[in-house]
Amino acid sequence: MTSNSIIAAAIAAFAVLPITAQAQETKSKLDEVLARGHLVMGTGSTNAPWHFKSVDDKLQGFDIDMGRIVAKALFGDPDKIEFVNQSSDARIPNITTNKVDITCQFMTVTGERAQQIAFTIPYYREGVGLMLKADSQYADYNALKEAGSSVTISVLQNVYAEDMVHAALPEAKVDQYDSVDLIYQALESGRSDAAATDQSSLAWYMTQNPGRYKDGGYGWNPQTYACGVKRGDQDWLNFVNTALHEAMTGVEFDFYAKSFKTWFGKDLTPPQIGFPVEYK
Amino acid sequence: MDIMHFLDIIWLARMPILKGLGVTISISLLAICAGTVLGVFVGLALTYGIRPLRWIVRGYTDFIRGTPVLVLVLASYYVLSTVGLQLGPFQAGVLALAVFCSSHVGEIVRGALQSIPTGQTEAAKAIGLTFPQTFAYVLGPQALRHALPAWVNTAAEMVKASTLLSIIGVAELLLRTQELISRTFMSLEFYFFAGLLYFIINYAIERFGRYVERKTAVPT
Repeated sequence: MTSNSIIAAAIAAFAVLPITAQAQETKSKLDEVLARGHLVMGTGSTNAPWHFKSVDDKLQGFDIDMGRIVAKALFGDPDKIEFVNQSSDARIPNITTNKVDITCQFMTVTGERAQQIAFTIPYYREGVGLMLKADSQYADYNALKEAGSSVTISVLQNVYAEDMVHAALPEAKVDQYDSVDLIYQALESGRSDAAATDQSSLAWYMTQNPGRYKDGGYGWNPQTYACGVKRGDQDWLNFVNTALHEAMTGVEFDFYAKSFKTWFGKDLTPPQIGFPVEYK
Repeated sequence: MDIMHFLDIIWLARMPILKGLGVTISISLLAICAGTVLGVFVGLALTYGIRPLRWIVRGYTDFIRGTPVLVLVLASYYVLSTVGLQLGPFQAGVLALAVFCSSHVGEIVRGALQSIPTGQTEAAKAIGLTFPQTFAYVLGPQALRHALPAWVNTAAEMVKASTLLSIIGVAELLLRTQELISRTFMSLEFYFFAGLLYFIINYAIERFGRYVERKTAVPT
């Protein structure tokens, strides 16, 4: 966490330079991308189910599919996309220094970040969830809460980990571990009663191990995930927004729903026909 | 953890691991070679250069040696692009490591050359050797012996520093390892395995250094 923020600060320091050095752009990124013939998207390669490598070394995940939705809207071909591999710390600098057209990399929308880049419309709402073993003595979140201090929760090591768990389970004992596989192992071996981490990670792990675990049925700590583009290019931002919006509500809904099912294991109900869902 | 199961998973992941290993080795080799060639000139300039040149090169080595490698990596990737030099992550990484390597090799070469008694240079002059000849036949071979152990150390440092390039998205061994971990959830096993591979690379460099040391040793 600390070393990460130092790296982020260092990158941010370098990325400030180009902002001031850049001349006013007259043509939209949209024309540039169309002329180039493929989309350049920044993303990572080390976080399932968002952006990670398959057994045959191909980049896949929900973020990757969001990029393909944009590529399909641009060229009618979801494969006309080039991925730039970047660490989480490089997400904003690579946008501001024009190394990518767009970044979709489970980026949480915050006011601070929105001052540096332009966020698209959200494509997912993340939150913390609880995963229990399928044969656990606790049925769900309410049972865990009633059990009070006799339950142990395994969680990723973090300055806020304790507070994060206590926001949902005020009396639970919190065990912190270094990596995601260790919090799952703690649950598997019975050293903890539930694992608390991002619901998307839990959903992916449960999809990978069907029948062995169950969801606690409670989510908290909401965060919005959206793609990011460079500030000051409304044409390009509108285009990406339109592509994402129609994937969640319109012609590309099946593409989005299929991706959602693959990575989070849940079926989505198609948007209601008739009055647009946006105005409900 | 079942060892056979892990070996199975490694076998399944052999291509990404080998690709990562290839990138790590090529980055390290390029950086060490380029850094060594540049570093020899830096060392020569530090030892024999005329005063203004020596000041400039001294400033260069002190500045680079006093800068964290990570900062050099980020600078060559982000700052150079603002002055119109668009380097890919691989090129930017090799550049940063080669520059870092050159400053260290420069200091090693300077130290090695200065440890040779001035009598050697004087004797070479007395028998009429030009400066390039003096360096090639008298000072160079002796300096090489002095410099080798420290050079091996720097070369191993370069291999380890190459892991920092994962920050700018170079798919070297560490990033490849992290990609595998995100798919398999086996962090300890894969980090241990990557550590073993890094050890093998560095052990090979050390053996190579020993080999050259033996070849260049004064016969007793």
